Amino acid sequence: MRPSAGFIGKERAHRSMLPDTVHKLPREERFAYARLLAYMARIDNELTVDEMAMFEQRLGTALLSPNQRDMIRASLKNPPTLEECLQDLSGEAGRLALRDAVMMAAADGNVDEEEQDALEDIAEHLGLKEDAVAQLLQWTVKGYRWMKEGYELLESLEE
Amino acid sequence: MFPDELDHLSTHELQRYAEILVYIAAADGELVREEIAAIESMMGRAMIHPETRVSLRHGFETPVPLEQSLTNLDVKLAKVALRDAALVAAIDGAYDKREIEALRALADAAQVSETALKALLDWVVAGWAWHNEAAKILGK
Repeated sequence: MRPSAGFIGKERAHRSMLPDTVHKLPREERFAYARLLAYMARIDNELTVDEMAMFEQRLGTALLSPNQRDMIRASLKNPPTLEECLQDLSGEAGRLALRDAVMMAAADGNVDEEEQDALEDIAEHLGLKEDAVAQLLQWTVKGYRWMKEGYELLESLEE
Repeated sequence: MFPDELDHLSTHELQRYAEILVYIAAADGELVREEIAAIESMMGRAMIHPETRVSLRHGFETPVPLEQSLTNLDVKLAKVALRDAALVAAIDGAYDKREIEALRALADAAQVSETALKALLDWVVAGWAWHNEAAKILGK
C-alpha cells in the first residue's frame, strides 16, 4: 500500500547535508540528475522557499559547472517534460535522482497526486521494485524526524 | 513549522556561517571532493548569493582563521554553525583531531557543553545510518 498524498501532514521538510555519491557521477549524469530535480521542483507550478532551498542544495552537491548551473536554473523557468528527463537518466544517477526527487516532492510538507504519479513513473523507468516509492517516502519521513531532532537538540544545547 | 535559524540570517551572518564551515572542512589539512560538495551543498541550502559563493570559494585555498570568525559570534548563529560543522567534519568518514579541536572551539562560542557536543556527534552518526538506508531501498 502506498502512502496517500499529503502523508507528511504538517511536518515540513527541514534541510540538511549528508555524505553522498552524486558528486562522483560523470558530469553528464549529474546534469541529467539535476534536470529531473528541476522538473520535480516545478511539477505543481509552485516553487516554495523550502523546495528552492533543497533544489539549490542538491545543485551544490552535484558540483555542476557554472554553465550547467545556469542551464538548470533556466529549466526552472522552462521545465523539461518528464519524458525528456528520463531519456538521459538511468542506473546510479537515476536512483539518486529518484531518492532526491522524493525528498524534494516532500519538501513543502505534502506530496500531491501529480508528484506521486511522476515518482512512480520514474521508479518504473528505472525498473525498481513496485513499492520503491512507498519505501522512499517512509524513509523521507524518518529522515525528517531525524532532522527535527537535530533542530530540537540545537535548542537544548547549553552549558 | 520547524524554522531553521538559517532562514533568518543576514547576508553577513550567512557569510560568516559559511566561512566557519569552510574552515572546519579544511581543518584536517586537505579539502577533498566530498568536503567541497558538502560546502557547495550548504551554500545552496542557505541560498547564498552566487557572487558571495565565488568569494567564499577563495577560502578553499586560504580559510578565514576560526578565531576571527568566532569573535563576537552570536550564540544562536554559533549553534547552527556547530550543528552543520559537525555534519561537514564527518563527511570524509572520520573526525580528525584538528576537526575535533575546531568543533570544541565552536562549541565554546555556542556555549555548548562537552556532553552536548557528544550528543550532537551521536546525532550525526544516526543521520548517516538513516541516509544509508536509501541505498538498500534502491537496491544498491
